[in-house]
Amino acid sequence: MSAAPSTSGDSAGTGTVSANCWNCQQPAKGAHFCPACGKIQPLSRGVSYFEFLGLPKKLKIDADALEQKFQTLSWKMHPDNFTRASESERNLSLERSSELNDAYRTLREPVTRLEYLLAQEGMRKEGTTKQQADPELLEEVFVLNEALDELREGRESGESPEQLRELREKLQEAQEQFQSELNKTDARLVETFGEWDKAIDRKEELEQKKERLEELMGEMNEILNRRSYIRNLVASVSKELEI
Amino acid sequence: MGRVVGIDLGTTYSLVAYLDMTTGAPKCIVGPYGSALCPSVVSADADGTVVVGEAARRRLLTQPERTIYSVKRLMGRAASDLKDELKIFPFRIDPSSGNVIRVKLGQRVFTPPEVSSFILRELKSWAENFFGEPADRAVITVPAYFNDAQRQATKDAGKLAGLEVLRLVNEPTAAALAYGLHKKQRGHVAVYDFGGGTFDISILKLISTTEGDIYQVLSTNGDTHLGGDDIDNALMARARAEINERFGVNFEAHPESLQELRKALITAKHELSSADHASMRLKLPGSQVYTREFSRHEFDEIIRPIVERTMQPVRSALTDAKLKPSEMDEVVLVGGSTRIPLVRDTVQEYFGRAPHCELNPDEVVALGAAVQADILESGVKNMLLLDVTPLSLGVETMGGVVAKIIPRNSTIPASAQELFTTGVENQTAIDLHVLQGERELAADCRSLARFQLKVAPGPAGLARVEVKFLIDANGILQVSARDIRTGESQSIEVQPSYGLNDSEVERMLEESIEFAEQDFAQRQLIEARNEAATILKATRKTLVEESAGLAALSGEERRGIEEGVAQLEQAVKSEDYKLIRSRIDTLNQATTHLAELVMDGALQSALGGKNIDEV
Repeated sequence: MSAAPSTSGDSAGTGTVSANCWNCQQPAKGAHFCPACGKIQPLSRGVSYFEFLGLPKKLKIDADALEQKFQTLSWKMHPDNFTRASESERNLSLERSSELNDAYRTLREPVTRLEYLLAQEGMRKEGTTKQQADPELLEEVFVLNEALDELREGRESGESPEQLRELREKLQEAQEQFQSELNKTDARLVETFGEWDKAIDRKEELEQKKERLEELMGEMNEILNRRSYIRNLVASVSKELEI
Repeated sequence: MGRVVGIDLGTTYSLVAYLDMTTGAPKCIVGPYGSALCPSVVSADADGTVVVGEAARRRLLTQPERTIYSVKRLMGRAASDLKDELKIFPFRIDPSSGNVIRVKLGQRVFTPPEVSSFILRELKSWAENFFGEPADRAVITVPAYFNDAQRQATKDAGKLAGLEVLRLVNEPTAAALAYGLHKKQRGHVAVYDFGGGTFDISILKLISTTEGDIYQVLSTNGDTHLGGDDIDNALMARARAEINERFGVNFEAHPESLQELRKALITAKHELSSADHASMRLKLPGSQVYTREFSRHEFDEIIRPIVERTMQPVRSALTDAKLKPSEMDEVVLVGGSTRIPLVRDTVQEYFGRAPHCELNPDEVVALGAAVQADILESGVKNMLLLDVTPLSLGVETMGGVVAKIIPRNSTIPASAQELFTTGVENQTAIDLHVLQGERELAADCRSLARFQLKVAPGPAGLARVEVKFLIDANGILQVSARDIRTGESQSIEVQPSYGLNDSEVERMLEESIEFAEQDFAQRQLIEARNEAATILKATRKTLVEESAGLAALSGEERRGIEEGVAQLEQAVKSEDYKLIRSRIDTLNQATTHLAELVMDGALQSALGGKNIDEV
């Protein structure tokens, strides 16, 4: 690990990227490469991953199209293409290709894609604590935690696997129940993706549209929190059952 | 500019390869001992001369205290990491070792990057002898599961060897590249790379596009301390226990015998790859003899736990790639340890298909490195490698918990930006601790570096510094920082947790040039002395035997020769090779006339008195 060389990073990093190509001075604002001379351009700040990949800010993404886009841009931006270029161009390639890979990694998975979108809109609010119980699941969680405690205590007081079998079965059952709850949550998430995309396309008053999108984002944020809560539960039960 | 090569810097063997322009195929360069495999062994003489490769390997038996092998296992590590391994290896760690190991070879002390640089220098000289011109740039391969410090140490070694390191390429990826050229295959490929000291598994997707072929690594996993060495050590442990029990011999006072035992067991291991039985015989210190026969079955049972250890990384890599064993279109075996039948059977059974091993498993990584070197050098591209970072990158947060900022198996280059602020009033610096690993707690992850962000004093939370973490195409992390309020970039002083800092590398580079000069002078002296001995011997012989020729010389000429002999004899006792050379020249001149007379005499007697013009 080392401190990054601070040669070209400055102009590229401070948001003062010129609208013109650094090489030929022709207009090149926002392009990966200068339309006139073909030179790689510094990254402007505040360009979202969606914009970087030339995608609309929608949540349903055609996986094959994303792959293809990623491949095409990789061929052009990858540092392999710049081994014989000037040091500043090598740094631009490093910066732009890492941005490409970050965008690809983030948008490829539905959950990270949504988290990114919410964070961009300032709407991602994680639960106050990880253990904050979901009110709809309160009773099931209570039963589950009780069973988990009993299993741990039983194990500590040296009860035989035979004695613990009943508890383990109970836990397994609970685990399956939560797993199906998780599947339902995921299905609901996919639904909201569709609703979001439709709302984006709908032609309506700006104010009205904004309200609708914010409402959706609030809902999606809650689903995300619920999802991570259930996932943690499932994971902790799995861990306990593995012992 | 000189030539560009691909180098496999291995635990047991290292190789150098190049792309043959006429055939378009990569080829390994054969060294002076007739093999492309250069043993990764380095030995230092009392006078400071360094010996590498086969010559050094021979010294393992005669001068084990001056000789080191498997130095790759020490790269990017601290002495405290190696407590277990030091019981097995005879390495002598210098007490000055802190976060960089210092190995003692005789009187000289080296860091692992320096030792590795000797191996790289040797391969560089193989290439230069082969090309007849300098080789100054290289692609060097590293285990896919190498962390940041191990990669940086390898890059330092390249620099110390006088090579510009164009790229560090992961070994399994390089192997896939060599196989891809060979087979023109498509789809999902698993590369199982079990070498002398490291184990890697990489899952790749091979894609054809209109621009060319993309080798996209989906996931990688491994163990940087699991390899053929461990198999050897398991056999050693078994044999030593038996010898101790039967003969009461323990090897503590006999490092030479221990190396003999290792050698004999490795030979038996190799035999068991093709035979069902192998036997060995070893003269023990004293007069007793240990003989032992190993069956394949017994061997398999000894090594089974080690082979099993490779399978957990395999399962994890597939899970991360979201693929099942049956979804692999090809399985490729790389590394010398994949010659072991149990290894092949285990892999075949898991994937349900026969693995590929058409290319020599020792050479395939170097061949792939040569291909990548050519891609980077020539700019002609019809192949693109997209590799991943093997370990998650994180920063330590409150309570020693690690916040992951770049997940493992992210395509590289990859980056992440994090915003940091002050927690208390008038705080003047923010401390950051960067780590690599999958565990939750900082204490369980690998520390990469600590650094401080300087901030202007003010109310808590006012300062806002954005830090950019960027993993480059070599898998090495770079950090930069920017003050959000002013937009100014900030310089940061990175203190690596393991490994050398920049000034240490610079100092070593200077030293290595100095040593190279010293080594050069040493070699010149030896050669000059040898030459002086030859000419002195010949002159003395002539002075005794060629009385006829001698009689034809003038008194002055005779005195000149005697003077020249005395002067050279004097010079040989000095350390000055230039003086010896000049005295050799003087003596040569003084004896020119005599040599002519002797030649004429010899010719005339050979021609039976004929006039030379008649011939």
